[in-house]
Formats: sequence, structure tokens, C-alpha cells
Amino acid sequence: MNSAVITNIQGYSIHDGPGIRTVVFFKGCPLSCEWCANPECISRKPQMGFIESLCKKCGKCLEACPENAIRLNEGEFRIDYLKCTVCGKCEEACVYDAIVRYGGLMTVNEVWDAVRRDRMFYDSSGGGVTVSGGEPLLYAEFVHQLFDFCREEKINTCVETCGFVDPDAILEVIPVSDFFLFDIKHMDSVLHKKYTGQSNNRILENAELLIKHNADVMFRLPLVPGINDSETNIKATSEFLKGLGEKALKLQLMPYHRMGQGKYKALDMVYHMEQIPAMDNEAIETVKNKYMDLGILCTVSR
Amino acid sequence: MKKINTELLKNIDKLGLSERNRQWKAALKASGWKLFADREKWTVESWKETEGEDIQIRRARLLKKILDNIKIRIYDFDVIVGRLTPGVIGCATSFDISGDYIPDIWKDNSEISVTMDANIGLDPESLQILRNSAVTFRGKTAPEMTYKAWESVVGPWIRDAEKARLKDPTLDAGFFAQCTSTLMWDKILTRGLSAFINEAQALIKEFIDNCSTDIDRLYFWKSAVIVSEAAIDHSKRYAALARKMAEKETKAERKEELLEIARICEHVPENPARTFHEALQAMSIMGVCKNYENPMHNNPQWGRGDQYLYPYFINDLNNGIITIKKAAELLTELIGRWGTQTFVAAESFKESHQINFGINNIMLGGVDKNGEDQTNELSYLFLHLVGLLQLSSPTVGLRWNKSTPDWMMKKAMHTNMETKGGIPLFENDEVVIKHFLDDGIPLEEASEWCGLGCVYPCLPSRAEHYGSEGIAAVNLAAMLHLALHNGKDVNGKLTGIETGNPAEFQSFDDLYNSLMKQHKFITHRLFRLAAIALKEQPKYLRLPFLSAMGIQACMDKGQDLLIPDPDAAMFGISDRAIIDVADSLIAVKKLVFDDKKLSMKELLLALDTSFDGERGEEIRMMCFAQPKYGNDIDEVDMLAERISKDSYDIIRSYDNSPFRKYIVAREGLAWHYFGGLGVGALPNGRKAFEPLNDGSVSPMRGADKNGPTAVLRSALKAGFDESYASVLNQKFSSAILQSEESVDKLVAYTNAFMQNGGSHIQYNMVDTDELRDAKVNPEKHKDLIVRIGGFSAYFIQLSPDIQDDVINRSEHSI
Repeated sequence: MNSAVITNIQGYSIHDGPGIRTVVFFKGCPLSCEWCANPECISRKPQMGFIESLCKKCGKCLEACPENAIRLNEGEFRIDYLKCTVCGKCEEACVYDAIVRYGGLMTVNEVWDAVRRDRMFYDSSGGGVTVSGGEPLLYAEFVHQLFDFCREEKINTCVETCGFVDPDAILEVIPVSDFFLFDIKHMDSVLHKKYTGQSNNRILENAELLIKHNADVMFRLPLVPGINDSETNIKATSEFLKGLGEKALKLQLMPYHRMGQGKYKALDMVYHMEQIPAMDNEAIETVKNKYMDLGILCTVSR
Repeated sequence: MKKINTELLKNIDKLGLSERNRQWKAALKASGWKLFADREKWTVESWKETEGEDIQIRRARLLKKILDNIKIRIYDFDVIVGRLTPGVIGCATSFDISGDYIPDIWKDNSEISVTMDANIGLDPESLQILRNSAVTFRGKTAPEMTYKAWESVVGPWIRDAEKARLKDPTLDAGFFAQCTSTLMWDKILTRGLSAFINEAQALIKEFIDNCSTDIDRLYFWKSAVIVSEAAIDHSKRYAALARKMAEKETKAERKEELLEIARICEHVPENPARTFHEALQAMSIMGVCKNYENPMHNNPQWGRGDQYLYPYFINDLNNGIITIKKAAELLTELIGRWGTQTFVAAESFKESHQINFGINNIMLGGVDKNGEDQTNELSYLFLHLVGLLQLSSPTVGLRWNKSTPDWMMKKAMHTNMETKGGIPLFENDEVVIKHFLDDGIPLEEASEWCGLGCVYPCLPSRAEHYGSEGIAAVNLAAMLHLALHNGKDVNGKLTGIETGNPAEFQSFDDLYNSLMKQHKFITHRLFRLAAIALKEQPKYLRLPFLSAMGIQACMDKGQDLLIPDPDAAMFGISDRAIIDVADSLIAVKKLVFDDKKLSMKELLLALDTSFDGERGEEIRMMCFAQPKYGNDIDEVDMLAERISKDSYDIIRSYDNSPFRKYIVAREGLAWHYFGGLGVGALPNGRKAFEPLNDGSVSPMRGADKNGPTAVLRSALKAGFDESYASVLNQKFSSAILQSEESVDKLVAYTNAFMQNGGSHIQYNMVDTDELRDAKVNPEKHKDLIVRIGGFSAYFIQLSPDIQDDVINRSEHSI
């Protein structure tokens, strides 16, 4: 596998592993969590997005589109995704940056060329490259090759995964990954399926697999009010982590935020969490303290 | 490595502003601006008394007259005495230096604009004094006479060039006489003014014994004696006032403080300082004297305050003479005083600097002549205190080198948070010292470099003529305007040379060569005018105090700063707007010559209507979409490198003999507002008269959309090695520093840049106003990236209600 669909390569990422990191966002995810902040990374295919607030309604995109996939609907432009071939002509034509392309095919060499440029920052901070998404382990072979390059130049490597992947994908990257950020979303399998589209069995098994292989893992929990902040879930999560042994007693909370909402709109997708406000610090601290009381070293990503 | 008392660092972290310091801050807030005309009364009186005498003696006696008579005051919260006016933030004027420079005094409403946005009323008596002074000195001052000389050579060209912002208004601003601002603090503190007097008298004796004839030198030394004695007497006036106040003081504690003030002011600056307190008091009086001589001048620069003050500081602490609390309180008092002294500036100064307080600079850390880093506990205290004070002045720089301790870097980041950015800025010790060495300056001098104004590196041992002859900067963006208009500026005047109709340019090189021809014509002409100014100014102005106290070579040779000694003078210039020009040129290259999306005619039409015509907005967006410096895009970064080199070559090709060649040092300040006022719309997408890019190597505002590491890669790739200093403003939100871990990362980011040869960086915090503007003008804010773990988005792509969320959460995550 020499290429993957990448939505973004972001330098100076400081919340995604040790040191200053470059995060490579892969496109495609086996889960579809309701709170997902990167909905553009759910589908594996490249997509065109439309940022309404930047549109000046000049109509240049209509003219440019060879497929007639852009239409004017009640004064607003919409992309017809059935017709759109993601040729990018509309994006080129739009001088206001109102049309964005989510995802482009990149080879391992191209990604490597982009991430190696920040070498001096990795060196000075102990940072490196984090693969994220979406689910990077859908492209495990690609990740393996990329990390091989990294390791040759002593650049730290980190995988950020939802865990719902083929165990072979995990085994493929363990030898070349310095660090894993592993999401635990909910301990109740039924609720897990309800909110993410899949049950959590495979995720929990993969967590065990990583620990069994002595991987360095930081577990993370996207903390969503009313969904996974209950006493029951806090207890169950703690129990699970304890069951994994000494090494797994750390948990980082990722407080729910609504920053991704605009991207839903841009992709003409429905956002189910409209009514749920971002958590305030006090509520986050309460959850954190509950984990601490249960013997879990809990931190909050800010 | 220096041995550091880490316990002391911890104690410094715990310090807050003392009650006394808070009282001063409260008084500062409550007092409002007030203009004091007192100085003008004495300058006029002295000038009449000394008519017919030598210019040096006249200037020395003028200062003495002020020091002997000007109203002085000690506030209840003062322990360090000596201030420019009796007001907490009083303003002073300087008609004797700048002539009739405040048009407001001739208006009927008796109001004078003292800041960008504050007017103050004047009582009729004060107004009369000011007018009288304006009339007395009108037409007899150095800047006025220099303009006359310039006009006799180039006619109205010089005014036209200034209007087109091809050069900065240094002369008009009264800033021209700034040949040094850092006094010889070490000598003043360790030897006292009595040593200066003895030195001058010995030289006078030698002059007479040797039957020397160069009378100018005799007058210099005589004037040095006059001003030294006057400074001592001025200090003693404070001593007498303090004693008088002590007699009436009922509170025992304050009475003792006043008596202490008196004792100290009787001892320094005449004699060597013995304690930290005495050292600061000596500096305070000397600083005030320097600014009485020329109020429209930088406030006294601290230079390497953490070095020459360190022996007093650490000795007093170790011997129980002072507590850290008390030391901090005293130091705060002087930092605050020098950070708030003001003057009434000329209009053009306000435009070009956006401030009216005297800039002053503290340069912390850095190596000694053996290459060993000298950061100490006092450096740390300075940072802590400027963090507590949160004033816009002083400018604080940190001399970064490979041995700068990590605790200092972390403290620097915390101070940036406290002050909302910019303090301290980081300058690369190794880069600056190497430049000086390459230019033949001995290491022991080079290693003592400090900051002038903001980032301009200067040597305390040499007179710095950056801007002193009225030429501090040339504006490459204005020159590009000339190249795009066959030599005509934004006002339609032929201030450049005719380099051909741009619509007929056959290639990109035609345009590029035309720009460089304009550059050479303008810059070399300005250098010639500077050489004329050099001859003119000393006829009308001398600075005996600054000369005697600032530069040893002046004393040794008996020669004023304004008459530079080729061995002891440095000349410098800032060639501005390189990035605006690089982004503009690449846009023309691509749109007109490579991709042929526009004809030169179409582009020029859009520019000349400031993108307001029929296709204006579309063309502006096309311009915006071209590659921009700051995104690690080779073609534009390399073009920036080429412009930087060629500009340097033009500057260095000017023969400045018998003096050193001009050095290039690209500083920032708020000049981009001023510079923009003379430049029409640019092909980088900037509209006419809008500000140019800030800093000197910062990317175009909002155009660095590949994130902060790409900005540094661009800057390093373009190199800008020709310049002693460059200003790179990097924008972050306070969110970037929310945890200790994030602080470490910003330190690592800074270290990486500096280790790879970056010369300067400073951090500005994004504020909510900017985010609000991004909602309205998204094209100018493409750089705002939301940083949350596992998430990626540009601010302008967020939906409007979420943007509001981010704004209301006070920029948590950008």
C-alpha cells in the first residue's frame, strides 16, 4: 500500500503525544461517533466541502463544475455528492476559499517529505509524527512504511487509534510505533454501538493486545456529557484499565467540543449533537477527580 | 556555568507588586496626562544668557540651568527619586532641539495632543511659555537647518520622498540625535561622576600645557565638567528636599525613608555606589539628566542591566543588607519610572512609532567575552517584575544562546503570558556577535551588545548613528510602487527614476531590475543627504551630557557624539518591507508572466483603483491566492532571499568613508502602519494605504496557513543572513501556553529556530478583536488554526456560532 487518502498534515501539534508533533490525518473510519469532530475523516473517499459563511455567491463554481454537481437551492449553493467526482475544478475557481477539498491521495514518500521538514522541532522537543484521522490503522501498511522512515532518522512515532481495527493491523505497527493514543469510548457494548455504530468488543480486545505486547499506551476518553460521564461508566472504565495491569492506569480525558460542527454543514451531513453544549471546566474536573479517586492517573487534554 | 541560587528563584516567583509599587500604579492610572512647560522656561532663559558663547558651552549651561531650577517633587510612594516632570506621568517638550514642532500650540483651543488618542488642556501661562520657546528656537535647530541644507541640494524632493514614505521621518521626529542611549553605567556606578570630572580636568590641563589649538576639544571637556557638576547638584537638590520633607514628616517610618533618600542622594552619583539601592538611585538621576538634555529621545536604556547591577544585588542579598522583597520593590520603581516617561512627539513620530513614550530597552542574559552565558538571578527578577508591571515599555530582550538556561527560557514564556506577548523577545546572541566580529569589532566589545529601541543591536562602547542623520529606514514597498509606475510615487510625483513603462516589461526580470534601480537611486541619495546632515547638525546642537556619560571615546578625544569619530561610530539602516515585496513580486511573476492570467495593464488598473474597480475584488483574491512567504514554499522564500541579498548589496555598495559602511539591521516597531501610508495597493493583495507587514520577516498577516513551523522553515530558508537583526512576530494564543508541558514545547520551538540560525522571534498573543475581524475579513486570517488534540480546522472554516463560542471562551484553542 503505497498511498493513502490524507486530509491534513498539521505541524506544531502539542496535544497529540510527546513534544512538538506533526499529525497526519488519514481519511476513513470504521466508527461513526455522534460527537466526531472530524466528520470529513469518516468516509474513505476524498470529498468536496462547502463553507457557506465564506461564499459570496459569485457563481464561479457553477460555471467551473463539469458535472453540474453544484446547484443553487433557495439562494444557497449545495454540492450534489452523487454527481461530484471530486475533480477540484470548483475549488480552483473559488477565490474566496469557500470550497475546500477534504482528502487527497498521497504516497508514503510524499507524506514523509512533508513530515520530515519539521525534524528540527522534533529534535529539540522530543516530538515526532502522530498518525490520526479517521483511523490510520485502516492504512496499517502505509503507516508501517512511514514509521520505518521515521525510525531510521530517530523521529518519535505515535499512533492515535479508535481501536476498532483488525488485530493484524495493530500487530503490523507495534514494532515501529513508540507510542499509542488509544480511545476508549464507552464500556457498555450496547450504548457503544448506539453512539458509534459498532460494539466495543474488538476495541477492548485490541487494548489488551497492545498491553500484552508491552506497547506504550495512553488511553484516552472523549468525554461527552450525558453519554459516557456516568458513575457506572467511570467505574467500568476504571475497572477495565485496572484489569490491564499497572501500565494502563493512566487515562486522558478529551472534553467534548463542537468545533467540528461547521464541517458537518460543509459536507451536508446531519449533526446529532446540536443540543449538547461544550462541557465547562468544573464538570470536567469532577469527572477527572472521580477517576483519580478510583486510582486512575487522570489528566485532561487542553 | 554560573552557580545559581535556585531557592532565590523560587522566592522571586512568589513576589507580587509591593504596596508601594501598587500605590504608584494607582497614581499613574488616576493622574492622566499632564504637560509641564517648566523646562522651556529655563531653556529660553539660558539661551539668552549665553548668546555668543560656544555651542558646546551653551548646551552645557542650558542643561545646568534646567537641572538647577526645574521644579522637582518627591511623592509619598517614592524611594528612588528623580523624574522628568513633577507629574507621575508628565510630558515634556523640546523646542530647543526640534524648533516650532507642535502645531497645536498655535491653535486657539489651548489643547495639545500628547498621545495617539489623548489631548490635554493647558493653562494660559504654560501655553505662553511654550509659545515663547517655540519662537525663540524656531529656525535655529538642527533638524530645521538640515532640511534647509537638504533642500538646497535636492529641492522639494526630500519632502516628497518623505510624503511617499520612501524614508522614515527620523529627522522630523526629533529622533535624529540618538547616537547612544545606554550610558556607561558600569563606570558611573563603580567610579562616580567625580571620576569624570577629574578625567576632564586632567585633559583640560594637558590641553593647556601642550599649547594645543583645537579649541573645540577644550570646550568639550569644559562642558563635560559643567554637566557632571550639574548632575551632582541636581541630586543634592533632591537630598535637600528630602531633608526638608523629613522635618515635617510625622510618620517615623517615612521620616527615616526620606532621610535615607537624602543620605543616598548626597553620596551618588558623585561617588561610587556602594549598595544596590545607591546604584539604582544613581541611575535614576543620571537617566533624568540625560532626558532633560533631550527629552525627545529614548528613555535611558538599561543595556545589560542584569550584568552591571548584579554585583550590588547579590552582595547586598548575601550580606543581609537588603531583602529580595525590598530589592524587587526598588527595581520595580525604576523600571516603572523609565517605562512611563513621556514627551510630546511630532505628528510623524506618532505615526511611525504609534507611541509617545520614550522607548527603553533591557537586554538580559547573553555571553561574556569568554563565551560563557551570564544569565543570573537578577535576569530572572527583571523578567518577573516586567511580568508584574505589564507596561508596554520597556522593551525586554533575551540574548538567546546555546547555554541560555532552561529555567530562564521557561520564565520568559511565562512572562510572555503575563504581558500578553512580546516580552521578552528573543535575539540570537551568536548571530549578532558573529556579525560584529565579521565587521571587525573585537570580541570583548561585541559580547557587550544590547538593544537600541526594540531589536537593533548596538554596542555601548560605540556611538550608534542609526537614524542619527535623519535616515533610519528605506521602504522597499514604496520603491516597488515606483517601479510599477515608472518612477512616480503614490502622490504622482517623480521621486524615483524613470525605469520604463511597466506595461511594456517583457519579463519578470525587467520588473525586478527596475525595482533595484529605484532602490539604488533612493538609498544612495539618502545616504548622501545623511552625510550632509552630519556636517550640519553639530552647528546647532551638541549633547555634552550624553557624550561624556555615554561614550568613552568622546571623553578621550574631546569630541561630541554628533561629530563622529570614525573609529568609534557605527552606521546602520533598516531596509523595510522585504516580505511585502517578495509576496508582491511572486504574484506578478505568476499572474502576469508565468500563468498569464492577467495582463500587466489589468493588474495595474486593479492596483491603481485599490481593487475597487469592476474586477477589483476578484483580482485581489487572485493576488491573495498566490504563494506567500511563511508557508515553506520554495519559489517565494527564495525570492525573499534574493531581495534581501540584493538590497544588502545596494546598501553596502555605498562608500561611507571615512566612516564604516552602513550595517543592515531590520527592526520592526509599529513602522508598518506608517510605511503603508505611502504605498498604493500591492500585488500581494494588500489595499492602498493599509499597513504593511509587521516585523521585518513576519509573513503577511494571516497568510501563513501552514502553521508556525512552516513560518520558521521559510524564515530559515530565506536566511536573511545579511542583517544583524530581523523581526519575526509569531502569533499564538495564550492557549498555546496553558500547561507547563505546552510551555516546554514553546521553549523547544524557540530553541529549534535559534539553533538553526534564526536571529529573532517574539510571540504575540491573538486577541478576541482579531478573531472578530476574522469573521468579517476571513481572507486576512487564513492562519488561525484551532488546536485541540486530535482535531484539525482553520478558524475561518468554523461555523459562525462556533466561531462566537471560541471568541467567548477567550481564544482557548487557537
